[in-house]
Amino acid sequence: MKILHKIALAVLLSTALASVFARYIAPAGYEQQFRDEAQAGPSLHHPLGTDELGRDRFARLVYGMRVSLFLAPLAALLSTILAAAVGGVAGFCGGWVERIVMGATDLFLALPWLFLLITVRAVLPLNLSPMTSVIITFALLGILGWAPAARVICAGAKQVLQSDFVWGARARGCGGLRLIRVHLLPSLRPALAAQFFLSIPVFIIAEANLGALGLGVSEPLPSLGGLVCELQDFVMLRPEPWRLAPLVVLIVVIGAFQVLLSKQEVHA
Amino acid sequence: MRAKGLLVSLVLLCSSAVFAQHGGELRFCLRSDPKTFNPLLVNDDASETVRYLTAGFLLRVNRLTQLPEPELASSWKVLDGGKSIRFKLRSDVRYSDGTPFSAADVAYTMQQLLDPAIHSATSDAFRSGEGKLVTRVLSPTSIELTFPAPVANLISLFDGVPIISSASPQKEMAALGPFFVAEHKAGAFVLLKRNPNYWKKDVQGRQLPYLDSIRLDVEQNPDIEAMRYQRGEVDLINTVSPAIYEKLSSVNASFVRDAGPSTDAEEMWFNQVPSAPIPGYKKQWFTSTAFRRAVSDAINREDVARLVFRGHAVPAIGNVPPSNKFWFNSSLRRDAYDAAGALRRLQSDGFRLENQQLRDKSGNPVEFSIVTNAGNRSREQMATMIQQDLKKIGIKVNVVTLDFNSLLERMTQTFNYEACLLGTVNGDLDPSSQMTMWLSSGEDHIWNPKEKAPATPWEAEIDKQMRIQASTLDLHRRKAAWDQVQKIALEQAPVIYLVNKDSLVAISPQVKNAQPSPFRPQAYWNIETLMLARR
Amino acid sequence: MLRSLSLALLRFVVLVLVAGLAGATLVRVAPGFSSDEQELTPGLSSESIQAIRQARLADGNIPRFYLHYLNGLLHGNLGRSQSLNQPVRDLLRDRLPVSLRSLGFALLLAWSFGLAFAVGAFRVRSRWLVMAADSSGGALISTPAAVLALVFLMMRWPPVLAVGLLVFPKIYRYTRNLIEECLEMPHIVVARAKGVGPWRLLSWHVVPSAIPQLIALVGVSISMGLGALLPVEVFCDLPGIGQLAWTAAQSRDLPLLVNLTLVVSCLTIGAIMCCDQLRRVVGRAAA
Repeated sequence: MKILHKIALAVLLSTALASVFARYIAPAGYEQQFRDEAQAGPSLHHPLGTDELGRDRFARLVYGMRVSLFLAPLAALLSTILAAAVGGVAGFCGGWVERIVMGATDLFLALPWLFLLITVRAVLPLNLSPMTSVIITFALLGILGWAPAARVICAGAKQVLQSDFVWGARARGCGGLRLIRVHLLPSLRPALAAQFFLSIPVFIIAEANLGALGLGVSEPLPSLGGLVCELQDFVMLRPEPWRLAPLVVLIVVIGAFQVLLSKQEVHA
Repeated sequence: MRAKGLLVSLVLLCSSAVFAQHGGELRFCLRSDPKTFNPLLVNDDASETVRYLTAGFLLRVNRLTQLPEPELASSWKVLDGGKSIRFKLRSDVRYSDGTPFSAADVAYTMQQLLDPAIHSATSDAFRSGEGKLVTRVLSPTSIELTFPAPVANLISLFDGVPIISSASPQKEMAALGPFFVAEHKAGAFVLLKRNPNYWKKDVQGRQLPYLDSIRLDVEQNPDIEAMRYQRGEVDLINTVSPAIYEKLSSVNASFVRDAGPSTDAEEMWFNQVPSAPIPGYKKQWFTSTAFRRAVSDAINREDVARLVFRGHAVPAIGNVPPSNKFWFNSSLRRDAYDAAGALRRLQSDGFRLENQQLRDKSGNPVEFSIVTNAGNRSREQMATMIQQDLKKIGIKVNVVTLDFNSLLERMTQTFNYEACLLGTVNGDLDPSSQMTMWLSSGEDHIWNPKEKAPATPWEAEIDKQMRIQASTLDLHRRKAAWDQVQKIALEQAPVIYLVNKDSLVAISPQVKNAQPSPFRPQAYWNIETLMLARR
Repeated sequence: MLRSLSLALLRFVVLVLVAGLAGATLVRVAPGFSSDEQELTPGLSSESIQAIRQARLADGNIPRFYLHYLNGLLHGNLGRSQSLNQPVRDLLRDRLPVSLRSLGFALLLAWSFGLAFAVGAFRVRSRWLVMAADSSGGALISTPAAVLALVFLMMRWPPVLAVGLLVFPKIYRYTRNLIEECLEMPHIVVARAKGVGPWRLLSWHVVPSAIPQLIALVGVSISMGLGALLPVEVFCDLPGIGQLAWTAAQSRDLPLLVNLTLVVSCLTIGAIMCCDQLRRVVGRAAA
């Protein structure tokens, strides 16, 4: 497994470096339109060909990675922290606190947040920079994405609190924050790691889908989710293999995260 | 012997042609479930499709010749300078349930149409002035309608008036058209069957329509519709996107047809509403003709037509396409794409280019947002191309996509936008249908709706010309006035027209007698004469 | 027991009603509520446009609308959809069974695959199997629901399979972690050391320890499944409530949206509460 971890780390590092130094790696700017070379196949000048407007796909992929692969993990971290806080507090306190908090969580799961997102877009100024728009989008995803995991974490917390070692700690006078920090959170790490790992691709895709509401990245800035969602065309209209590159990149990066985090997940 | 053989072959050929192509079920799709089967309450595309196939009309505009043709009315006469119209109706016509059709039905329909509770463009067009409609039934086959004031474009308005029965127990479900609604499963399909009492016959005296039935499946996803078409589950697609057109064409070139430029146009305009919540200096830009013309000149329409619409669009001069033979002003020419010329025009208006950034007289960087509806790939691509084109002359454009209702609220109520990219859909060829758009007091005067008085001399001139064309029956005088409106619109560019989209249809080779038109309904406007080859 | 059930039922009703009110408020407050695409019809007069807007604003007062709606609900009247011009009751009667069947099938698939892979990973202890399961799970959650569903449609397979495959990685992930966590528990370590076989270990020791969290996961998987089902129904034109919800959302169809919010609330909150009750029962039985 050690070699696998090294490979995973290398993949993530190279992806990160490619994103950071996109300007030097990409053959052209992500917004530059080579209109006489629209929908071209791979070539020396355009390693992954061009899209319908003649934009270099490789450049858009590299810049898209920068947007999605930095912001999505941050959003996932935010949702995981919120899930841990809400679920952990509910499970720890139990009783009426748990009932109220979990009731609020259930309510949260059932509401049509689509309309909150539409309202947020309405409130934002029109002349927002694409990067600000996408940061706000991922922040919203992080804030709204905690509810499913909170329940599982609450159940996990309650179970951990019934464990012998926790009883033992309590008997020794350990309580409150120390109990949470030293005993509860480490025991919940597998569930939290799973939540974090699962949220990243979900948020990447969700950001692209929020484009239907005017949130998400705005032209000409690309995002990995947006590039992956363009595969609907691939399925129905143009099955060109090089167009699968964004999906392959996403799968490889998620896989790398997975390999690195599996150690955290499995060994509490 | 040889002659006998030839005769036999000919008979076999003709008989196979006759028996193989009569009857059958045509299948195509609706984008949504019809909201209503009451022809007078139609306000969505799906209901309009059903209405077109089932309702009877006094006259219809032929989609190819663009001339009105008699239907239930065998003839008509406009009187009193457009204030009255007298129809001579066909006799021995019956609804699908056997109820006889008469002038009383026309009178009933018009009274229903002008009910204040009904809000449609057709009914609003007939409400030309204060007062009531007077209907005079002269005989069972003759009726005279008198309006309180002359109605512009009176004849072709009746192309949109379905005649419902005043006496049938089936009420508005009784059909005078070639088909009637036989079955409806909400969200799934509508089945139309041949109207056994349809009055029309072909030149050989055979009763129309040729088809036995039409099945309209509800299919929201155009990609899936195209997939079903390829599999032979669907016989035609009334509108296909350029991408789907290319895909189907690559499979079989006979699967699709380009019927030429439609009345649909893509356009962009700047917000010129004085009370709009945008900075004052931006309002100054948007109200400057030089600014608008410069932006228009800096947009490469050829590229938009070529890349976004895959060559199935033409750069637009106005919202009247060349295919609208009579009303299009053929003397107009659009200036070619000219970024350098656009920059010169801006510089002459006080703008200056500094470090690749255009600034106005006060030093404000020229930056604005274009809003368009999310989920429309073509518009998003057009907006991106415009963004790049304007970048070349130092203008920074932010593309904002919004869900449609939010966009609509900004456009029509809050006016909280700077520039908007949308499309127009004109079902009617006649300029009178665009009164509310071109009159400065109109609701659809998109760049500055409902002006109390024309804000500019050119808008006052447009008002004058639109009133002239609406108040006279003289076609040439109307044409001259409308030509003038088109000319002013091109010069002043309150709306920057980008492209006129072609009508792209998919019609299976199994469907015979199809003659796709650029105008709605493109693929099945001559539904009565469509035939199916034996499957 | 009876008291506990009554309280749970009361809690359920209150939560569902609050969800409906909150959903209605969100819809009302969102921009575009009074706008209707009909306004753009060329040739409409100012009076007609105002009439169209007023018709939309008829339900603008949310408390009044909601009370009126609840009154109708008690009499079996769910209101009329503005966008589809049909009684909401008829729409739900036709479409809800389709979605429930799809959801049930998808969750069965997701749980079967998820448990099978998780148990398989525990039983076989092969890093390759784990990698294969992890990779396929990672690939599936990285693929947009629409793309996956369209692929199935092209292959003439039921698109609802995509929903199951999208939920499966989450089930698998949580279940595998649970099993691994349980294996580290002292009493299970002892059992292993004493030579207890893997299936007995799983059924007698691991499952009872993991069951509370698994039950919680069941409840949550219903909302995950609904979340995956909606885009699949929209993209593949399946006549379920997902498609209905999208149409209603685009046109701000308040009566339909409130009903759908209540349906979704009933499903998610109901499922979660049932799971909670079950967890308590199991916990008491174990004790």
